[in-house]
Amino acid sequence: MANPTTRETILAAIGRGKPDLLPLPETIGFPPNISADNLVDSFMKMVQTNGGQAIRVTSLAEASAFLSEEYDLTLPILSRVPGLEISNFTPQEDLRLLVDLHLVVLQGIVGVAENAAIWLDETAIGIRAMPFITLNLSIVLSEKNLVGNMHEAYRLIDTSTGFGTFIAGPSKTADIEQSLVIGAHGSKTLTVFLLP
Amino acid sequence: MDTASPKHAKAAEAFLRDEENTDWHNETLWFVRSKRDRAAQSLPEWEQLREQASQIKAHTLSKLDDYLIQLEENARQNGIIVHWAANGDEHNQIVLDIMRKHKATKIVKSKSMLTEECHLNPFLIKEGIEVIDTDLGERIVQLRNEPPSHIVLPAIHLKKKHIGDLFHIHLGTEAGATDPQYLTEAARIHLRQKFLLADVAITGVNFAIAETGGFVVCTNEGNADLGAHLAKVHIACMGIEKVIPQAEHLGVFLRLLARSATGQAVTTYSSHFRKPAPGQEMHLVLVDNGRTRQLASPDFRNSLKCIRCGACMNTCPVYRRSGGHSYHTAVAGPIGSILAPNIDMKEYADLPFASTLCGSCTNVCPVKIDIHQQLYKWRQVLGEAGAVESTKKVGMTGMDVLFSHPWLYRFAGRAGRWFMQKFPSLANKPSLNPWAIHRDMPKPPEQSFRDWYAQQNQKKNG
Ligand code: SF4
Repeated sequence: MANPTTRETILAAIGRGKPDLLPLPETIGFPPNISADNLVDSFMKMVQTNGGQAIRVTSLAEASAFLSEEYDLTLPILSRVPGLEISNFTPQEDLRLLVDLHLVVLQGIVGVAENAAIWLDETAIGIRAMPFITLNLSIVLSEKNLVGNMHEAYRLIDTSTGFGTFIAGPSKTADIEQSLVIGAHGSKTLTVFLLP
Repeated sequence: MDTASPKHAKAAEAFLRDEENTDWHNETLWFVRSKRDRAAQSLPEWEQLREQASQIKAHTLSKLDDYLIQLEENARQNGIIVHWAANGDEHNQIVLDIMRKHKATKIVKSKSMLTEECHLNPFLIKEGIEVIDTDLGERIVQLRNEPPSHIVLPAIHLKKKHIGDLFHIHLGTEAGATDPQYLTEAARIHLRQKFLLADVAITGVNFAIAETGGFVVCTNEGNADLGAHLAKVHIACMGIEKVIPQAEHLGVFLRLLARSATGQAVTTYSSHFRKPAPGQEMHLVLVDNGRTRQLASPDFRNSLKCIRCGACMNTCPVYRRSGGHSYHTAVAGPIGSILAPNIDMKEYADLPFASTLCGSCTNVCPVKIDIHQQLYKWRQVLGEAGAVESTKKVGMTGMDVLFSHPWLYRFAGRAGRWFMQKFPSLANKPSLNPWAIHRDMPKPPEQSFRDWYAQQNQKKNG
C-alpha cells in the first residue's frame, strides 16, 4: 500500500525544486505529409516495411477465401470480425489455453499511413492476450479509417477504454547481432486486409 | 581529498583489447545511428517535433507535482493501485510485498531500466523469487549474469557465437549453432513456458498520462503484453519523470521514440494500459530515487526530459568504442553519465569525463537535452567538490589558465607544434603523454589555423 510519508516527501521536494511555470506549446502535432489519395499506398508500403503483408480486398468474403487458402482452418482459429465467420475456438476461463491459437482475426479501428500502426481497443480485442499470444494475426480495416499520422490518430481514438494498443506488424527482434528476426514472442505473421 | 578511480577508462581498456569486437560494436551502432538519420529525414517537421517534445517535457517538469497527483487520482479511479517509492530499496520492498500478498514465487519482467537502476533482480532472487527477463537481449545478458550494456539493445556487446554457446548450455540448442532465426525460436519456446507459469508480470512505463490515469509500454517483441495479460498481477514501475499531461501528447513522443531508437517508424506494439482486466490486479509504482534532487538543480534538471531512446549512445564516439559495461551504471552512455553522478557523486565521478564533448549526443536527442553541456557542467561541479582524479584536475587547471590568457594559448600552440616536429617520439610515448595510449599523435600542422587565417585575410586585402 502507498506509504503516505514517502508520497508527501516526494511531492514536497518537487514543490521546492521545480522551475517556474513554463507553458505548453500552443499547438500540438503537425498536419500529415501524406495526401488523402496516397493514404492507402503509403499504409500498404509501411505494413510491408514492418514485416507484415497488406492485401486490398473488396469484400469480407474475399478476405475469408484468402485466409482459408493461407491457413489450415482445422487448427484453433478465432475471428472477432462480424461477417467473417471462421471461428472454431471458444476461449475458456483459463487464459493459458490461448497458447493453442493458430490464427486470430480482429477488426482494426484506425490505421496510420505514416507507420502502419493499427489501433485496436478492448472492444476489438476481447481477451487482451489474444493478439499477442496467437501464432498468426490478421486485421481487417476499412480504408475510410486511414489517417496520415499519429496526431490525427489520437484525435480519433478513444483512450478511455481499459486497454488499447497500436500494432504495427508481426513481433520482431534484432537482439542477436542486430539480425532482424520476425516472430519473437508475439505473432509471427500479420496480414492486413484493407476493405473499401 | 576524495579521488575517483578511473573505472571507465580501465574497463574500456579491457573492452578495446578485442579489436575485432570493438570494431564491430562501433560499426553496428553507427549503422543504427544512420538508420535514425534516415527516419528523421523522412519527416520534414522533425526539428519542430523535437521542439514540441522538449517543450511538453519542460512544461510537465514545471508542474510535476500537479501532474503526479492527477495521474494518481485518475489511476486510482481506474482501479490501479498506486505506490510511491523514495528510492530503490523502497521500490524493491513494494514489489516484494505484492509478491508475498499473493504468495507468488515467479515473475516475468519486460525491459525496465528503472528496475535495473534499483537492482530489483538480485534483491528478489535473494528472497527466493524466480525473476525471468523476457526481452530477448535482456534474457541473454541475464543468463550470462551480466547487466544490459545498452538501454535499447541490451546484448549489443555480444556476437551470435557467444549467444549460440550460451543457449547450448542453458536452452539445449545444438552446439555451434549461430543462426539468429534458430536461436530466437529456441528463446521463444523457452520463454513461452515462463509467460504461462508466471504469477506476476513487471513492466516498465514509457509514458504515463495524467489525464487518463493510464500508461503506455512500447516493445517490438510483445513480451510486455504477453507477460502483463497472462499473469494475475501486473506491476508497472516508473520514474516520476515519465508522466506527460495528455493522451494527445503521445502523438509527438511516439513519432520520435522508435525513429530515434532504431530508425523504425514506430515500435511494433504501443500498448495503452488503463484499467486492470477483469479478475486481474494492476499496480503502478512511482519512484523518485534522486529525481527530485535532479529537478532542483537548474543545471541538470533538463536530463529528466529523457525518453530513453538510446540515440545519444549510438552516436557517441566514446560509447561506441568503450562498450556499455565500461560505464558501470544501469544507464550507460552520455545520458547515463549525467544521471549517475546525481545518484552517487563519488562512485560515478569518472563518467562525465567519458565524453569528447563533441555535441553529437545533443544533436540527436529527440527531446533536445543539452547533453554535452551538462557533462561539461558536471566536470566543473566534480572538480569543485574535489571528486576528480588529480591528474585530470591538473589538466583542467592548465586548460583554464590557457583559455583565459589568449596570448599564452597562441604561444602554447606554436610551442606545441615546434615540440612535436622536433620530438615526435616523445609526444607518442604513453608514459609521458596519456593521450598517446591507443593512438598515434597526428603530425602537427606546419601552421596554426589562426596564422593561416590571418595570411588569407592579408592576401585578400593586399
Ligand atoms: S538523452 Fe536524449 S538521446 Fe539520450 S536516451 Fe535520453 S532521449 Fe534519447
